[in-house]
Amino acid sequence: MDIGRFFQYIASGTAYTLGVTLIALPSGLILGMLFAFLAVYAGKIATRFFSIYSTIMRGIPPIVLLFILYFLMSGAINLTPFWAGSVSLGIISSAYQMEIFRGAILSVSADQMMAARAIGLSKIQAIRTVIFPQMIRIAIPGWSNEAAIVIKDSSLVYAIGVPEILRRAQLISASTQQPFLAYTTAAFIYFTLVFITNRLLNRAEQKLTIPSNP
Amino acid sequence: MIKPILTVKNLTKRYGEHTVFENINLTVNEGDTIVIIGPSGTGKSTFLRCLNLLTKPNGGQIWLDDQEITAKDVDEDQVRQHIGMVFQNFLLFNHLTALENVKLGLIHVKHMSKEAAEAKAREELARVGLAEQADHYPGQLSGGQQQRVGIARALAMDPRIMLFDEPTSALDPELIGEVLEVMRKLSFEGMTMIVVTHEMGFAREVADRIVFMEKGQIVEEGTPDQLFYHPQHERTREFLWKITELYGKKEKEA
Amino acid sequence: MKKTLVALSVLLIMAGLLAGCGEQAPTSTLDKIKQAGKVVVGTSADYPPYEYVDETGNYTGFDIELMTEIAKRMGVSLEWVDMPFDSLIAAVQEGKIDMSISCFNYSEERDQQVDFSDPYYTSQDAFLVAEGFTGTITDPADIVQYKIGVQSGTVQDEWVTTELIETGLMPESKLSRYERVDQAALDLQAGRIDVLVADSVPAQALIKQFGGFKIVYEVQLYTGPINIVLPEGDKALRDEVNKIIKQLQDEGFIDQLAVKYFSE
Repeated sequence: MDIGRFFQYIASGTAYTLGVTLIALPSGLILGMLFAFLAVYAGKIATRFFSIYSTIMRGIPPIVLLFILYFLMSGAINLTPFWAGSVSLGIISSAYQMEIFRGAILSVSADQMMAARAIGLSKIQAIRTVIFPQMIRIAIPGWSNEAAIVIKDSSLVYAIGVPEILRRAQLISASTQQPFLAYTTAAFIYFTLVFITNRLLNRAEQKLTIPSNP
Repeated sequence: MIKPILTVKNLTKRYGEHTVFENINLTVNEGDTIVIIGPSGTGKSTFLRCLNLLTKPNGGQIWLDDQEITAKDVDEDQVRQHIGMVFQNFLLFNHLTALENVKLGLIHVKHMSKEAAEAKAREELARVGLAEQADHYPGQLSGGQQQRVGIARALAMDPRIMLFDEPTSALDPELIGEVLEVMRKLSFEGMTMIVVTHEMGFAREVADRIVFMEKGQIVEEGTPDQLFYHPQHERTREFLWKITELYGKKEKEA
Repeated sequence: MKKTLVALSVLLIMAGLLAGCGEQAPTSTLDKIKQAGKVVVGTSADYPPYEYVDETGNYTGFDIELMTEIAKRMGVSLEWVDMPFDSLIAAVQEGKIDMSISCFNYSEERDQQVDFSDPYYTSQDAFLVAEGFTGTITDPADIVQYKIGVQSGTVQDEWVTTELIETGLMPESKLSRYERVDQAALDLQAGRIDVLVADSVPAQALIKQFGGFKIVYEVQLYTGPINIVLPEGDKALRDEVNKIIKQLQDEGFIDQLAVKYFSE
């Protein structure tokens, strides 16, 4: 098989990799941010509950969780491996993202909340106008890391039958006996995706930096 | 007829076993400047934060004008609009410019239009001498400037009473003056204020009444004249002597 | 401590739900296939010459061509789903795929979870070694002295586990299980294993592709007939598939395929 075809076959899995990532990462974001705010502001029971959720989800290897969630979902609703895998990865990521946002919220000092309440803002208004904008800036570096992880973890859905980059590399390797070439090709593609993502997020972080005198 | 703006009856605050203060009574009339002095850690800041319900007292009542704000179904956010607070650590919103800091409450709490809020915010910043710094971020301002923005932010809400919690304790000495000057002006303009501070000069010149608090109790209360020159309690005398020594003034009272 | 207990109970609840999901009421998959106008077939396309990808990136191989013809005769289109071999049985069980063709041998263990079609071909096992191998193997049990490799989830895996390890003839540490057979071949090349126990047809393919290997012994252990894997209890589907298999056997179609893919 010539190099061009080789590369093209593996690279055509990129659409699936991106698809999985673009479902998993945003769903993890929405859930993670919601959980983080609830964990910090919605009272003791909420804090305890999300703490347990986070501990469990982060204490099990993602691939194991993927299988559990995938087969759990099969019983209830009939989703294709692509959707089931993406949603599962989103749920897994929500736990890690929750911790990122929770840490960022707590880094915005409690005094900011106090000052906001002191001028008559309600708790929700304070969260929206004072806590959230500061929290986002603090969260970007950690989130950039998580985005890279989700891109890489998307490869796990090979195990449930999604024809993404890794699985294609495996198949090509099996038919052509060129494992090194197959896997370094896959590695190159993943690396490129992660690199671009990190660059974009760095740019965003710089744009959002609040001016100050050193 | 002098009207009390703030009335405090039997206010008590406990943290678990530890009583911070107990059965505090205080009346603040319109236009009064009350300065609270006393050793650190005696509950002065906690007391102040109870007045605008940031901290919940365990016992007692507080009235703002005719409304009992410690009553059960009170809308606290509503109440806090009318009580301004200035913090030791300024606590400006770091992601907003000075102007935006002052505007925030006007837009979201007073529901003013963008234009009206902008105009009023500029007015307040000018009042504290910071018209030029409107578009600066807190990180670009000195401590004294930040605190003045903090004062403008509180003043913009047109509060009935202003609470100052050790407003100059976190400032470098050369920056203290500009903040005290703003506060002095406010007091002369007739603002009702309660100030917790160690600045004895300010207390002596500006206060209508000085309250000496120690170990969660009001030990003595009176005019500056009374407290500085004729203190009733030994503790008051001791404390004032110590603190004026600390601040470089070696005046001992008879 | 309390946190641990709550965490454990949540895990147990999840496990319970999962266990409850195992049983599926037998519905007519055949009806579903006819209605949808397509059959979803699972395979593990890393097993030349039974199933693999060709130069243009399409699935090809003995099983692939056979199933394509079967679908044609069923009057439906075919959708392939590729996944690691040891995920296929569960996928049929869970109804994620309608059936699977992937060089499956019959086994009692598998029979508890899925059904089998009639055999469409017969395979046997081969012991593959590097060309420089100096040992003698006259009996399958002779391999216990060597480091063994198998593909995980295959009947070769089952044979080694049941006949050699569980009987105490060989310690488990001498067995390496691989997700794919070409991974095992790489280790054979590197000397990390001495003997690769695999289906003889892919073993031949590995010799052709890698070079430097030879088959020292061929036998039928747990192998033998290979079948299509079908959902449990679906008689209608099984009858339909078996009917077509018999047709293809009688027409000589399968023999032609064997010549195309298996001869040298």
